[in-house]
Amino acid sequence: MDKVQQVPKPDLKQIEGIIASCKDQKWPLIPLLQRIQEEVGYIPPETINPIARAFGLFPSQVQGVITFYEQFYTTPRGRKVVRVCRGTACHVRGGKTILKLVKQNLGLEEGETSPDLEYTLETVACIGVCALAPNIVIGKETHGNMNPKKVSQLLGDKKGSG
Amino acid sequence: MEAITITLDGVEVGGHPGMTILDLARESGVDIPSLCHDPLLTPIGACRICLVEDERSGRLLASCVTPIESGMVINTQSPKVQERRKTIIKLILASHPDTCLVCDKGNQCELRKIASDMGVGLVGLQKIPLKATIEEVNPFIERDLSKCILCAKCIRADHEIVVQGAIDYIERGFASKPATLNDSPLENSDCTFCGACVAICPTGALMEKKLVYRGTTLTNVSTICPFCGCGCSINLEVKDNQIVRARPGKEGVVSRGALCVKGSYGYDFVHSPERLTSPLVKVNGDFEAVSWDEALAKVASELKRIKETQGPNSLALLGSSKCTNEENYLLQRLARGVLGTNNIDNASRLYSAPSIVGLGSTVGFPGTTNSLNALEQSEVIMVIGANLTSSAPAVGYAVKRAARYKGAKLLLIDPQQTNLSSFAHLWLRPGVGTDLALVNGMARVIVTEGLLDEEFVTRKTDNYEVWSKELEKYTPGYVEEVTGVPGDDVVRTARLFAEANLASIVYGDGITQHLTGTDTVIALANLAMLTGNVGLGGGIFALQRDCNGLGACDMGALPDLLPGYQSVGNPQAIKTFADRWDTDLPSDGGLTAIEMIDHAIEGKVKGMYIVGENPVLSFPNQSLIKEALTSLDFLVVQDMFLTETAKLANVVLPAASFAEKEGTFTNFEGRIQRVCKVIEPIGDSLPDWEIIVQLANSMGNPMPYSSLQQVKEEIQELVPLYQDTGYMDPEAKDMHRGELEKAPLRSRRLYKGQFPSGFGRFSPVQYEPQEETPKDGYPLTLLTGSVLYHSGTGSRSSRSPRLSEFSPESYLEIGEPDATQFGISEGDEVRVVSPTGEVTAVAKFTDVLPEGMLFMPLSFPSTPINQLFGIALDPRAKTPALKACAVKLERIQPRG
Repeated sequence: MDKVQQVPKPDLKQIEGIIASCKDQKWPLIPLLQRIQEEVGYIPPETINPIARAFGLFPSQVQGVITFYEQFYTTPRGRKVVRVCRGTACHVRGGKTILKLVKQNLGLEEGETSPDLEYTLETVACIGVCALAPNIVIGKETHGNMNPKKVSQLLGDKKGSG
Repeated sequence: MEAITITLDGVEVGGHPGMTILDLARESGVDIPSLCHDPLLTPIGACRICLVEDERSGRLLASCVTPIESGMVINTQSPKVQERRKTIIKLILASHPDTCLVCDKGNQCELRKIASDMGVGLVGLQKIPLKATIEEVNPFIERDLSKCILCAKCIRADHEIVVQGAIDYIERGFASKPATLNDSPLENSDCTFCGACVAICPTGALMEKKLVYRGTTLTNVSTICPFCGCGCSINLEVKDNQIVRARPGKEGVVSRGALCVKGSYGYDFVHSPERLTSPLVKVNGDFEAVSWDEALAKVASELKRIKETQGPNSLALLGSSKCTNEENYLLQRLARGVLGTNNIDNASRLYSAPSIVGLGSTVGFPGTTNSLNALEQSEVIMVIGANLTSSAPAVGYAVKRAARYKGAKLLLIDPQQTNLSSFAHLWLRPGVGTDLALVNGMARVIVTEGLLDEEFVTRKTDNYEVWSKELEKYTPGYVEEVTGVPGDDVVRTARLFAEANLASIVYGDGITQHLTGTDTVIALANLAMLTGNVGLGGGIFALQRDCNGLGACDMGALPDLLPGYQSVGNPQAIKTFADRWDTDLPSDGGLTAIEMIDHAIEGKVKGMYIVGENPVLSFPNQSLIKEALTSLDFLVVQDMFLTETAKLANVVLPAASFAEKEGTFTNFEGRIQRVCKVIEPIGDSLPDWEIIVQLANSMGNPMPYSSLQQVKEEIQELVPLYQDTGYMDPEAKDMHRGELEKAPLRSRRLYKGQFPSGFGRFSPVQYEPQEETPKDGYPLTLLTGSVLYHSGTGSRSSRSPRLSEFSPESYLEIGEPDATQFGISEGDEVRVVSPTGEVTAVAKFTDVLPEGMLFMPLSFPSTPINQLFGIALDPRAKTPALKACAVKLERIQPRG
């Protein structure tokens, strides 16, 4: 479970606006969920009811779609999402140790978000730049040829930063 | 349509386009196993057990989702098919617990049956971790998702039949399962416990809680649900004279695979320990059990004595909207032919007499004008004054299906937010008791904009000119002022209603239980005639609170009408019955239900015979009712339980329940349906019809019936509505009033050539402000109504162990702003005070009510809200106003 202590209340007005702007689309649900996630950072469960109402769906159906896709999150995520690659090439070149170091530096387990909502730690199966293994991705930036020094340079000791 | 021929297991068979291979196979008697297919649901091809081989390509096809194509050569039993099916079953079993021996589904499990048919015992595959069971406290449904095979039948039944949407899949892959929102227990979700999912689940994943018997029963009887007026078919399973399970009747045209919580779980009142098992006679203030002979002799002699000393009109009878047609017929014969009085009425006076008067005087037919199926086919459905989810669930399902899947536009007119609100195209919230102004306003828009069905109005109705002139004052502006509904919305609603080809009106107690009930029904009938929606398609749908409210009226348990709505003032009709019964009949009009009470207070009515009704709780002004009933010389009550009314009686006669007798109920559509005996009567109780026949014998005026069949013959002979319905056919389960079902849908007309009385008649009705709205010192408006988990005054549902466990006590629904104003917190005990009386209840916050409005359920005997109502009658239908009253609140103390 995420160690999130304080979840800021989502701005339902903002979300209502997003819903209204998607109303005329033909298959609005998934693009709508993507936009909410992009703008709010995650899909607050409070939005399920207004979405269902707006599109003539049952709340349980909306929940079904959200939980089906890996790409949707129902809890807040960090401003920086750190993804450690666990693909074969990265694994062979010490990806496992890199993951361990990242965990230590961030004080997070896989799937967790720091209490100050700065970092979220995830693993990915492969990001396609095996030539630079082992890799990690922070936000949208990829960092190759990772080693312990680079890990501490990039992430320092972020433990207890909240 | 061109037929398609395919070769199925070497035999040529023909089907029509759009059929699937599975449909055709089942039609041709070829068995293809399946776990996820049900004819009532959209096929999804989830379980893959129904694979068949296309011999030309060698491909395996899921037969439930593959349409037939000309020239197909299908093999349903090839080695390849068999092998693949076995593998699939093994894979399903690999994620299924090995607990068949202790599983309550037993040999009704479809998975077990298919595995056993295919000889799959040991699986030999590594087990997949099972899902945990879910802890739930509700007394109805138990979910053990370790046994779930992900066939999605429960989800589809929930979405497609009941249209509730409480569950859907959550997560995916191994984690996926049917779940409520936030995966919460059912009692914290939108679930209404209708039981459709339990009835359709192929395995033991969804089961009834508190099973009385785990095996397979040998006796399964299809009968009709005894609660609301929908008339759902239920299949009762019996073991050792005990009903152990109820399932929706498969062939039920009303229920279509789903009941509501009362139908699925509420039957257990039948076995309540409070059932009366012998006749009781009051001696010195206490009841003593006596024999039938003794009780009947006492009743006969007392009724005779009163009749002889005080005259026949000092006696009054109340029939039951919960008893069968035959019983009500016999009771009115007892009143008219034996006792010699027209003082007979039934409890539907409390909620549906305005329909009989209002529809009778306009369209000329006292009741719903079309079938539930036609309602579902409507393009526009206007629901006014009815919370269908609680008062008529099956109608609610049909309306929701039409709105969500068939493109119907729902126009909802209700101050309260209900389950239908989220399905509504337009939702208007008029002030309490102002519906009449709104409906007249809609009619005015249609008239002034020329949207009426001119041909229909010209050819089939009269009095249009006079009526339309009377609409002038109902401008959108005036309607807005009176009802609070924006004028623009009135115009939009009117246009939508008028422009649809098939438009229907559904209304309930929210219309009929106001003082202006009859007038509002007339206004609705005017609207339907104006738009040509009577007969052809669409229609007027008058809901009934009780299972046989309409039937009791059809059978003449009414003071002014003989069976078949023939007036007692019509000498010809009187003569027909007098000749048939070989006796003189009274031709002066009798007393309606509430008038009986007035006459008892005045000392004019001395003796009453009340069958299956509880006026102490259901009539307004409880203290007055009690005073009236205790002032009688003699009161006999015939009921299943010692109700609040029965406690006041001199003699109580124990009646059998719906499950213990034969007969017919007529549902709100006018569908005459057979009630079948399921178990033997409990104790010495007897079916009401037998009691009435024996009582007539004891009075020395025997009725010449040796069987129920003879009563039916007489009804068929004398009641025009029941002729040509197949009513007498002992095999028929469902008899519909002739013309409704015979013609194909599009040409179906209730009034093929013309209305029953020649023309439909437009009648002007005017809105007048009512007393029910807030006044000095009583600033709030209290609405009352039925709730899903109870029925009527709760004399049966409060004795159903499961229903009363889940919904044990009354409550007061109040919006938070109102509560704050009165310093009330959630859970506080509150005194609700009206000018007439007061009750106490626990406050429950809600956001479904507009400000200034409260709601209380009427179904809890311990909180008799009828105390709050004074007696005020609709001037024409004599129905008491029981829907709303002005109240104030006093906080007593926080609970705890």
